[in-house]
Amino acid sequence: MPMIDQSAGKTGGAPEGVRPRDRLALLTADNAAVPLPAGVQAITAILLAGLLIALPWLGLGYRFLSIAITTLYTAIGLYGLGLQFGQAGIMSVGHAALMGVGAYASAILSVQLGLGFWTSLPFAMALSAIVGGVIGLPTLRVGGQHYIIITFCFCALFVIVLTNGGTFTGSATGLDVGSVTPLPGINFDKLSNNYYLVLAALFLALAATYLIGISRYGRTLRAIRENEQLARSVGINVDLHKLGVLMVSGLFAGLAGVLQLYYLRHISPTLFGAFPSLYLALMVMLGGARYLYGPLIGAIIVNFLPEVLNLEPVDARIAYGICLLLVILLLPGGVGAGIKNIYLAIRGGLETQGGGSNGRA
Amino acid sequence: MAALEVRGLRKQFGGVVALNGIDLDIDTDRVVGIVGPNGSGKTTLFNVVAGVHPATGGTVRWQGQDITNIGAHRIARKRLVRTFQQAMSFPGLTVDENVRIAWEQGRRDDSRWASPGMILDFVGLAPLGRAIAGSLPFGSLRRLGLAVALGVSPELLLLDEPGAGLNDSEAQAFAAVIAQLPPQGIGVCLIDHDMDMMADLCDRLVVLDFGTKIAEGPPGEVLSDPKVREVYLGPDKKAAAS
Ligand SMILES: Nc1ncnc2c1ncn2[C@@H]1O[C@H](COP(=O)(O)OP(=O)(O)O)[C@@H](O)[C@H]1O
Ligand SMILES: [Mg+2]
Repeated sequence: MPMIDQSAGKTGGAPEGVRPRDRLALLTADNAAVPLPAGVQAITAILLAGLLIALPWLGLGYRFLSIAITTLYTAIGLYGLGLQFGQAGIMSVGHAALMGVGAYASAILSVQLGLGFWTSLPFAMALSAIVGGVIGLPTLRVGGQHYIIITFCFCALFVIVLTNGGTFTGSATGLDVGSVTPLPGINFDKLSNNYYLVLAALFLALAATYLIGISRYGRTLRAIRENEQLARSVGINVDLHKLGVLMVSGLFAGLAGVLQLYYLRHISPTLFGAFPSLYLALMVMLGGARYLYGPLIGAIIVNFLPEVLNLEPVDARIAYGICLLLVILLLPGGVGAGIKNIYLAIRGGLETQGGGSNGRA
Repeated sequence: MAALEVRGLRKQFGGVVALNGIDLDIDTDRVVGIVGPNGSGKTTLFNVVAGVHPATGGTVRWQGQDITNIGAHRIARKRLVRTFQQAMSFPGLTVDENVRIAWEQGRRDDSRWASPGMILDFVGLAPLGRAIAGSLPFGSLRRLGLAVALGVSPELLLLDEPGAGLNDSEAQAFAAVIAQLPPQGIGVCLIDHDMDMMADLCDRLVVLDFGTKIAEGPPGEVLSDPKVREVYLGPDKKAAAS
């Protein structure tokens, strides 16, 4: 056979026999493309699911559980952003507005037509998806920077429209809704039940993200992220796929927005403006958009950091800024990348010492 | 009727006429070489045929259908596939995934390759399947570019200087792989500067100069054509002409 390469390239992940001075480089590398063993993935998923399911029983208190709910619905929105940014490479800084489209659609359907949580949910998600696609439409051909600016403008415009929408949008005061229509035997007024509702949605978002990631569709998105021109030349309809992923991202945002609405029971325009949007971008970068648990990690850090460190809002903003700088400098792939790299390093180290591979760090 | 028929193809970049009315017929059972000095329009010819740049004038027909300006991805789906002069890959993804992406796009019941692994075997990249494409040495990256193009199950492959930047033994190995393609039903249209290799490999040579076809025929004939010799061996005359 022709062409056997003598100078084999280095494989991704942890090369054998890592020298200490390469440790830092190892930690900062982006190994999103390196596949993890199925066993490790399964154990991580089971442990995480178990922890999240057990959370309301750990006696951590009402306030903790409230923050946990906020974290989870935020994470659902972030999974959409993770898909469009992490997989397809399209960053948005107006993502809270897309969640707002879902939240307001559901709230208006409730106020005007009396539709409850379950009936309005599909409409709200569909509307977020359509709006997500429409925002992307003018920028398909001109690239990412334009899209970022458009999302920011959309976000500003959205708040202005809501604030001036009269009784229809509730203006600056916003809109109120009732509670989630109970299912047989489950009353969502109880905080832990509301938590489980949001957790179920998060599991759906995680499953969808995982399945997209390992599918042909996910690979197509990554191809577009990595090299648009080459993607076209192997037959990928780049424009259509970009539009598609923005709409899928909109579905996640709509779901997150409706969950947010029915948790808070009251929404107002400021929830969906520039600051919340930037926080979403911050969270997805902190956690690591390309990693399955990255968005969730990002949401946990940003929502719990002020609580854990007992920070005032202004101090929290400074802390977020510092976090973001640290991550950009040390972990360009996000905290998710760091955790995976630690695992890869440990596994690599154990393997070179003749030991077996073990669970995750 | 040839599989690929280019008629009166023109491409202008502002004031620069990169292609000035090219006529070309290419069949899928042989290797056709395209040669010409730098800037003569070879890459532009591929770019316009493959739909990367819109044509300024003229037509491109492929298997009887007009494919002029229908868009790069649609042309690739019709199994007319090109590689790039600058070695290209999906750099952040593994070699496996690079080839799988192309293979999934080109997949059909009658696909030549039952799996992406067969393509990696064919180009000799199988041992590097889990490597990140961006970390490959240049020679392997060139092969990956070929593997990705082959993944789409092309009927005609447009190869833009696949040997550029390779050392002699790598280039020879590459030529050996290219020679295996036409017998398998993959036509090749090849741009390269290595005249010895081109004379060896190609059934027919096309010479471009300033966006115009100045010669075409069997390599021996074309390379002894006085017009072609002037383009390649008489830089002083050419400088005077421009
Ligand atoms: N994208 C482009 N924009 C402007 N001019 C271009 C572009 N591509 C090629 N050209 C011009 O077209 C001519 C032919 O270039 P090219 O096809 O790359 O030549 P070759 O591949 O034969 O070296 C050159 O004068 C080049 O500067
Ligand atoms: Mg060229």
